[in-house]
Amino acid sequence: MLKYTIQRLFSLIPILLVVAVIVFLLAHMTPGDPVTVLLGDEASEEAKAELRHELGFDLPVYTQFVNWFTGVVTGDLGMSFFLKKPVTEVFADYLGPTISLAIYAQIIAIVISLFLGVIAAKKRGTFTDQTVMGFSLLGISVPSFLVGLFLILLFAVQLQWFPVAGYRPLSEGLWEHLRYLTLPAIALGMMQAGLITRMTRSSMLDVMKSNYIKTAKSKGLHQNRITYKHALRNSFIPILTVIGESFGTLITGAAVVETVFNIPGIGQLIVNSIERRDFTVIQGTVLLITVTYVLLNLTVDLLYGVVDPRVRLNRKK
Amino acid sequence: MRKFLISFLFLSLIFALVACGGEEESSDAEGSSESQGGEASVSVDASLNVAYPTNLQTLDPHLTTNQSTRDVSRQIYEQLLTLNENYEVVPSLAESYEVSEDGLVYTFHLREGVTFHNGEEMQAEDVVASMEKWMETSTQGKANLTGAEFVEVDPYTVELHIDQASLIIPYVLADTAPFPAIVPKESVESAVETGLTEYIGTGPFQLEEWNVDQYIHLTRFDEYQSREEESSGLAGKKEALVKDIYFRIVTDPSTRVAGVSTGEYDIAMDIPLDSAEQLSSSAGVDPVYSDGGISTYVFNNKAGAFADAALRQAFNTALNAQEAMTAAYTNEEFFKLDSGLALPSQVNWHSEAGRENYNQGDIEKAKQLVEESSYSGEELTILTTKDYQDHYNLAVVAQQVLEAIGVKAKLDVYDWPTFQEIRTEPTNYDMFAMTFAVRPTLHQYPFLDSKAEYPGWTDSEEIDHLLDEITEQKNFEDAKPLVDELQQVVWDYLPVAKVGNQQDLVAVSDKVKGYTDLIGPIFWNVSKSE
Repeated sequence: MLKYTIQRLFSLIPILLVVAVIVFLLAHMTPGDPVTVLLGDEASEEAKAELRHELGFDLPVYTQFVNWFTGVVTGDLGMSFFLKKPVTEVFADYLGPTISLAIYAQIIAIVISLFLGVIAAKKRGTFTDQTVMGFSLLGISVPSFLVGLFLILLFAVQLQWFPVAGYRPLSEGLWEHLRYLTLPAIALGMMQAGLITRMTRSSMLDVMKSNYIKTAKSKGLHQNRITYKHALRNSFIPILTVIGESFGTLITGAAVVETVFNIPGIGQLIVNSIERRDFTVIQGTVLLITVTYVLLNLTVDLLYGVVDPRVRLNRKK
Repeated sequence: MRKFLISFLFLSLIFALVACGGEEESSDAEGSSESQGGEASVSVDASLNVAYPTNLQTLDPHLTTNQSTRDVSRQIYEQLLTLNENYEVVPSLAESYEVSEDGLVYTFHLREGVTFHNGEEMQAEDVVASMEKWMETSTQGKANLTGAEFVEVDPYTVELHIDQASLIIPYVLADTAPFPAIVPKESVESAVETGLTEYIGTGPFQLEEWNVDQYIHLTRFDEYQSREEESSGLAGKKEALVKDIYFRIVTDPSTRVAGVSTGEYDIAMDIPLDSAEQLSSSAGVDPVYSDGGISTYVFNNKAGAFADAALRQAFNTALNAQEAMTAAYTNEEFFKLDSGLALPSQVNWHSEAGRENYNQGDIEKAKQLVEESSYSGEELTILTTKDYQDHYNLAVVAQQVLEAIGVKAKLDVYDWPTFQEIRTEPTNYDMFAMTFAVRPTLHQYPFLDSKAEYPGWTDSEEIDHLLDEITEQKNFEDAKPLVDELQQVVWDYLPVAKVGNQQDLVAVSDKVKGYTDLIGPIFWNVSKSE
């Protein structure tokens, strides 16, 4: 197990190298420059050229890459031109809201989808099954910004149960924190809920056909005990894969929801950094997200062994 | 079928509940609004929540022409001279000023007892340091005050020495972006190449916290020394009537609209004009319109088909300004048709000369002009962005106008930063639609003077000469015929084709009183009832 984990961590190096080169090139080949954003639309070319020179933005691209990459190797992702802070510090500042939002969205998605998925599997082919599947299809196909706007209109503007937008950190109280995060978490979690519901249903159906379930039934075990103790646990591997992958998507895909609900998370940081062409932040954030994504996948792989003893790697034959 | 009917009825019930909820809420809100009218009391400890559309890149007002910096900075900093509601220059931090007979020395007598937010008194050395920084870093300072020098005479007197007399100097010093804010000498000394690192001014509000990308929190400056004249535009008496102002950065326009409707925000800036109807039906929210600036088409005068003035004239002849402005701003309420580059309220600068060339909509005459031009059937490129919907809508109109007169045209659409870079290369495009904020003088529009090298690259000796000649006049009475002549030449040469004056829409809660605007929002003298 330890050897496997170390191997996986080493495999990060080539991935990060490729990502670093691609992101750097993409950022620098995209037209638009931070100096124009800073000085404004009507600033003279002379003033822009002067500032570009002072900040080293007129150096050849390869020199800029070497300077940046040398820093990355030593753990220095550079300074944000606009935020005047190291990129790692900026990433840490913006990660909190995104993690909170992603966890809350994931919890909502898991609760809804396990409940609905199991019901749909149990009532296969009935009206309930069709309704649940219709709901999950809706969750997958309706874009999160649309769900977000609909939720704002209904629960914030009409019913006024939740605030329209904004973010309050956990330090201002759990209730206040959740009040601001509930609508965005639902908007973000809807697609995951749809995916996990479908996976739960199909995985449960496969397991329900197994001989040991038939044996359990013939032994006269209670239906709920069969469903939740035997069937659900054994069908959990594919569900866990979807949950793991979708959590990565929640972190990286929250940009739209964060923009609609005005949450200062990683998604909004990337959008804002692209708008102001803050190259070091774009590069550093994408690198750190790649690391997060790979580590999440590794965690899910390791969790397989916890859920299902048959896939434990250090089991001696 | 039965199941389908049950589902349908269930969904209908949900929608009915939502609709009823809305109506009840609306009538409640109206009720409370009426009662507030009678019982509302102004709170001196109130917080004003402003939903602001764009992120700030800097709080150094010397550095940038960005509107976001201007809008927040003007609450924190003040300048020697400023503009009143008639766009006239009046003293602000200067008690008074006088100009020498030859027009080469301006003497500013500073107000005594004015303190910075750090508690230090503002004196001549701070003014000299601030103005020197502004002259070095700002586009306006560099363009209009080359070789100028600020000199400390005594702690409360400063002189500006210039090489050549210029009528527009007071206007340049009263400019709104980049504006010559007076900051402590120490702040100037600690500034880096990307601007100030501490944000200390003399204004009615001081910076409490800048949480980048989230909010800017200003608090009332209790030691603020106000002028006593009646408040007018950016001038006169200023009172911080609320304790806190939060500029909350809300980039999504529908969130701003929804937020001001629910009372989450007290003021929402830059409301899309197509939301005006929704706002007018929201209880407790009033739409406020203000002069947004001028809408234009900027031609590439340096390369391509529009380098030929005949084709520029053909486009302008075909242009129906009423239709173009309606396409961009949806409704006649939201724009005004006017041929002048300055607003009619800018009495010293507004001119109707050349009006006959404006809003012609004459397609047949335009086609004839195309024939007479050097246009040879190539496809023209209209550069635009969807980041500003009005720019994009105007670009679509331009494409239709060109096609109507037999000129092929395509749209090249980019995001705003890409647009800004593409625009710097003359071979990339033929025209773009652009709005410009109101400027105190015609000289400050970047598209007239060839020396500014603004994209479009106007290169008219006549315009350059008239701009210089205006500055050489002793007063506006003498300058007026030249302003008229300049306006006429602009319509003949067509560096840009003026389309109209657009209005900005701000949504203001009816709990808020006293909100005004002059080239940006003004938050002093604004009160809020609880």
